[in-house]
Amino acid sequence: MRHVASVAGRELRSLFVSPVAYGVLSLFSVLAGMFFILDLSWFEQALFQLQQYPEQLAEFNLNDMLLHEFYGSISVVLLFLIPGITMGLYTAEKSNGTEELLLTSPLTIWDIVLGKFVAGAIFIAALVGIVGLFAGVLFVYGDPEIGKTASGLLGLLLTGWTYVAIGGLASAITRSQIVAFLIALVALVTLLLLPGIAEFGIAGSGTGVAATLRWLSVQLHFDPLLKGLVDTADLAYFAVVIGSFLVVTKAAVESVRWR
Amino acid sequence: MIEAKGLTKRYGDLVAVEDIDFSIARGEVVGFLGPNGAGKTTTMRMLTGFLPPTDGTALIAGHDIFSDPIAARRAIGYLPETPPLYPEMRVESFLAYVAKIKDVPRAERRAAVDRALARTALLDVRRQVIGTLSKGFRQRVGLAQAIVHNPPVLILDEPTAGLDPLQIREIRSLIAELTAPSQGDTQQTVILSTHILAEVDAICRRVILINQGRKVVDAPLSELTADGRTLDQIFTEHTARDAALPLEAAVAPGLGGAS
Repeated sequence: MRHVASVAGRELRSLFVSPVAYGVLSLFSVLAGMFFILDLSWFEQALFQLQQYPEQLAEFNLNDMLLHEFYGSISVVLLFLIPGITMGLYTAEKSNGTEELLLTSPLTIWDIVLGKFVAGAIFIAALVGIVGLFAGVLFVYGDPEIGKTASGLLGLLLTGWTYVAIGGLASAITRSQIVAFLIALVALVTLLLLPGIAEFGIAGSGTGVAATLRWLSVQLHFDPLLKGLVDTADLAYFAVVIGSFLVVTKAAVESVRWR
Repeated sequence: MIEAKGLTKRYGDLVAVEDIDFSIARGEVVGFLGPNGAGKTTTMRMLTGFLPPTDGTALIAGHDIFSDPIAARRAIGYLPETPPLYPEMRVESFLAYVAKIKDVPRAERRAAVDRALARTALLDVRRQVIGTLSKGFRQRVGLAQAIVHNPPVLILDEPTAGLDPLQIREIRSLIAELTAPSQGDTQQTVILSTHILAEVDAICRRVILINQGRKVVDAPLSELTADGRTLDQIFTEHTARDAALPLEAAVAPGLGGAS
């Protein structure tokens, strides 16, 4: 574990000398800005219409009516962007031949896997930081609840990290960047659809299978965070999913040695 | 320095390397010869810990590759067939990264990188992006990454493959320098694979010849050629017989008996 930082540092630096990082960062900022403006104008309109209903107006607030929507949209944007960030994590090592350098250096496989995950996690933190800036603007013009705003950001961060762990595995099991991207995308969309599958799918609602499917979906654990509920059960979900994917990724990286 | 004990690699029923034993002392320069597909790369990959042997083991500078893999790998500088390089990195920062993951202490890294740059005549391109370098330069960067941590053991897999005659000469004289070090440098034990016989003549003092996964010759070069035979003849004698090639076809001058 001594070299996690070395691997992560190199990964981040490579990300930032290639156009990928800047492309993703600017694309993300534009998309986030568009969603923010859309959600904001919707919020204004609704606010205007609700002037005649004082009881409902009392329920109306920036957190539940604006940031909730905004964070929700961002989580979908992340779903499409993160496979683009993670697709090269391991495939690039294979095409550069540097896999051989890493595996013959005094590193453990965990150094490599954790290093790459940490690099991805830091990049996601930067993206969530941008989201935080938008949310911050609201503090200048209104007064959203700081707790809810922060727990929503935490939810985005954990969701993003989960996607990085999944995208990393996709990258570790193939040699092609495109294939890694597609595997990650399909996996993440499936994960998004799990609650729907649980409701209407072959499993039938109410059964143990359906409950498991629902529990597996990121959405179920992201929602409470959006609502300001920080529950250890949800945090544990993220830890378990990220941890399991990292363990499988480690096995995938190691498997070069068994072939 | 290098001790191979019954190294064997099987892929299912296919035997790539079978029961190879040898022992190489400090400062020896050994040419590892054999036709393409004889198992040279597989053997070297087992020595470096990239591939685990199916059977047998090896000691690198006294460290068993199974029971003490980290220490064994620390003692090895390895140049695989395709030099492991990150095309987007600069020569200098790439070497600094390699020094880091090879456990060169922080305080000595700068000096280690400078020394590797100087020994491989790369000082002029230290700030260049690796992807913009010519093939010969990239090969030198590959060599520099192998020696940056001043390892007692150097394992070079076809270090001159695909280079022009001038570059081949440069690489050869470099290897010669590495084994006859100036003060302060470790005297390196080198095992280098090739199927170019002239290369062995030029730099090696001992020859290990393998064919179809088995060791067929292991002797000092002087002893082999003492009776006036050329390396060409020896090579052909030991490889053509098994490969059932017509003798005339295999004795083409300088040609390493294509399988």
